[in-house]
Amino acid sequence: MLVLTRGSYALPGTSIDFKTGTWRTSRPLHKHWAAPCHSACPAGEDPQAYIANVQENHHREAWESIVHINPIPSITGRICPHPCEHACNRGRFDQPIAIHSIERFLGDEARQRGWEYPIDLGRGAGATVAVIGAGPAGLSAAYHLRRRGYQVTLLDALPEAGGLMRSAIPINRLPRDILDADIARILALGIEFRGRTRLGVDVHLDELRSDYRALFLAPGTSKAKAWSVDGAVPTDHRTALELLQEWVAVGSLPAPQSVIVHGGGNTAVDLCRAMRRAGVKEVHLVTASGLPGPDTEPDDIINIVPRELEQAIEEGITLHPHRTIQRLLFRGSRVVGVEMVTLRKLPTKSGQTGRIAFEGTETLLHADMVIPAIGESVDPTGLGTLLGGGREYLWPGNPFGRLEHTPGLFVGGDARGDRGTVSAAVGDGRLAAAAIDSYIRQSDDPEVMSRAVITFDHINSSYFEPAQRVEEPTLSVAERTDTAEIDRPLSSAAITHEANRCFSCGSCLACDNCWTFCPDNAVVKTVALAKDGSHYVFDYEYCKGCGICAAECPCGYIVMEAEL
Amino acid sequence: MTTINESAFDVEIRKAVLRSKLKERHRVETSFPRKRKEEPALAELRERQPAFRGLEAGHRACQGCGEALAARLVAEAAGPDVILTNATGCLEIFTSPWPQSAWRVPWIHSLFENSAAIAAGIEAAMKHQGKATKVIAQGGDGGTFDIGFQALSGMLERMHNVLYVCYDNEAYMNTGIQRSGSTPHAASTTTSPAGQERMGKRHLKKDLLSIIASHHIPYAASASVAYPRDLRRKVRRAMEVDGPTFLQVHCPCPLGWGHEGAVTIEVARLAVQTGLFPVVEFERGEVAGVMPLRNPKSVTEYLKRQNRFRHLFSNDPRAREEREHLQALADRNIEKFNLRGEGMDPLDSEGADTVRRGGLVA
Repeated sequence: MLVLTRGSYALPGTSIDFKTGTWRTSRPLHKHWAAPCHSACPAGEDPQAYIANVQENHHREAWESIVHINPIPSITGRICPHPCEHACNRGRFDQPIAIHSIERFLGDEARQRGWEYPIDLGRGAGATVAVIGAGPAGLSAAYHLRRRGYQVTLLDALPEAGGLMRSAIPINRLPRDILDADIARILALGIEFRGRTRLGVDVHLDELRSDYRALFLAPGTSKAKAWSVDGAVPTDHRTALELLQEWVAVGSLPAPQSVIVHGGGNTAVDLCRAMRRAGVKEVHLVTASGLPGPDTEPDDIINIVPRELEQAIEEGITLHPHRTIQRLLFRGSRVVGVEMVTLRKLPTKSGQTGRIAFEGTETLLHADMVIPAIGESVDPTGLGTLLGGGREYLWPGNPFGRLEHTPGLFVGGDARGDRGTVSAAVGDGRLAAAAIDSYIRQSDDPEVMSRAVITFDHINSSYFEPAQRVEEPTLSVAERTDTAEIDRPLSSAAITHEANRCFSCGSCLACDNCWTFCPDNAVVKTVALAKDGSHYVFDYEYCKGCGICAAECPCGYIVMEAEL
Repeated sequence: MTTINESAFDVEIRKAVLRSKLKERHRVETSFPRKRKEEPALAELRERQPAFRGLEAGHRACQGCGEALAARLVAEAAGPDVILTNATGCLEIFTSPWPQSAWRVPWIHSLFENSAAIAAGIEAAMKHQGKATKVIAQGGDGGTFDIGFQALSGMLERMHNVLYVCYDNEAYMNTGIQRSGSTPHAASTTTSPAGQERMGKRHLKKDLLSIIASHHIPYAASASVAYPRDLRRKVRRAMEVDGPTFLQVHCPCPLGWGHEGAVTIEVARLAVQTGLFPVVEFERGEVAGVMPLRNPKSVTEYLKRQNRFRHLFSNDPRAREEREHLQALADRNIEKFNLRGEGMDPLDSEGADTVRRGGLVA
């Protein structure tokens, strides 16, 4: 409103009547991107979100945000190869955030302080669902179904729940009291557990299908793949998983002078380390993958928790990366070594990648024992026609694990054939639970997140200080045993320090930069949360579209959108 | 309900008790977690900003104006109990298109050369009336380095309790980018054009801060819009001092310097990080503090972002010479003020703008 004063002066702040927003050709918008850690997590966790809670010392909210997705953070914090950290944008600046340490800390806090799972059992029709296999996929599915109010029966062939986490993961990586306590906490939510119940022996698929509204199959992989080198097999042939399970259960291992383990997963490395500690002088690991380094393609890096690899090297394991076993050497009937050849993962004529061995790179390696650790397939017992025709896995062809030709049947975990980590199994369980819920309610498939992933070039790193990543203290090589946990816990102060290193990629840090730097006073702050969850609102009546806020947002949360 | 034996006094007591109970009930109810309210309208939010906003929206500065930002930050840190005077210049023009004003504090403009003199007069009047309201005189680099210099010098010499803020955008931008005493060496302006005769401005940027400091005033400092936390601190520091104080705020002009409005802060930050604009504090003529440079950057980083230095990247052999000249001037600043940092410091050129969740530590 035009006010003409007697003294020809202007009233304070009256320029507000002049809407400079009409000058604009592009406007700033808040864009909630997916942080790279979030998109990389096989379980579906959003580390950026819970680290934000930790920064504010809201540890319980942080933990609740995790268990909304993953019920076993203190386990995955210990044993996951944490692809989140490999994806972390901070890795382009100094070192990635130690996300696994934060996850582990929160899981441990919850157990020690007795925080209850944030579950509302009021919802849900109470329909019954059976979950076959009480490994990470089965436990996750049971938990997420229970959260939705279903009556869940969890069946497993073994007397106790836990699957491979109990039978094959070394105790010094995952102490059993922690595993027991976490599983007990999940089962205490009202999940019926029936151990010593083997599919095809004690229960049958048809029977279960008629008794329950839906089934989730997470039998895992327990059948050793046939292994031979050009038809030859050592006389003392044992697979790595067998030996590892035996060692975890009874603590004994064969102890030859020297051994060659062939494979590139955690089973292989765990067995190498156990055998080395059991007194084997020379332990060789032959793997077709490469070691982490600037020259190795990300998908060619050995799929092992990085610190496990460092510890294995510390303990004296000899690694032979980018090699495969081409021939076994025998003296009479006894294996005395192998012939290795160098190979690389390269694109082939068909367009896919394949492993190409190079002629002339053959070398001999002598050892008393050769152990394959090349993976397992699904045990077909009791699965009837679901497996067959030469198929080794229950490949469902969709992220929810829905088997298209058998309604009400869902599958997840290692049995899918495209998994291989506890975290991926947990993710399967969660997605399958959502899909089972939709199936029973006869609604559409649940929505899958489709936010764009933010890259490092959207982060304004001027606003962050280099800071050393915290590392968990570890037992020295001499102190390590088969049972004592090697990675020791971190203090709350160290966790806060680590959380404060987070760039908050693609989410508002509430740092006030946009509010501080707007020359036109067109960013308005709200103490309460604005509609989009930030504390700032753009006033487009005055915003001239200069783009300072977008350029100076440390987190990439502001983007400019052309209007003309 | 009134009983038979109840006196008027009793009735009053009963009413009072009832009132207090009602109050109590009211208190109990409001202590429950309230439902989240609907987001208030923007105009209402604008009225309820958590900090004082001295320069309102709707002013006519260009997109990405560094001076508008600097003036906003100064007014916010100084206000609301403050009176501003303004020399002629961009700031004066774009904030006061009569009958409107963007200022939410008392503000007066008279002429180009007398911002400091008017401030001195207001300060004397305030003193006479026994009021403690602080006076801030404002001017651009033209109104400070050149045209208003003698009024400024006189105000400082007479020890008026005034803070003089110079918004230094290194040329007469309001009239169309003419060189001033503050324009850096080799910058191209309409009156120091780069061409066959010269590579932009022939002369050097006037070291005004040292001249001001030589008036033996209690506090004189330089600051940059790229470091708002540092700027606010210096404004508050100057406001507390009883006596003349001076602040030179480096603020890019996208139009005059030839860069996009979006990179205003980045350009300002580079001016500091290269050493071309030293951020220092003088007390009674002596250097009392500097913002150390963690890793001094090459001046090329700063120059190549601005069209006013575009000619320094041509094939002309003088271009290289002038780039080296500017680098030598930056190195001279670093040496003179001992700007080179010793390791990581939370308040050095890299650390002073670190953010954290929940806002700047102001």
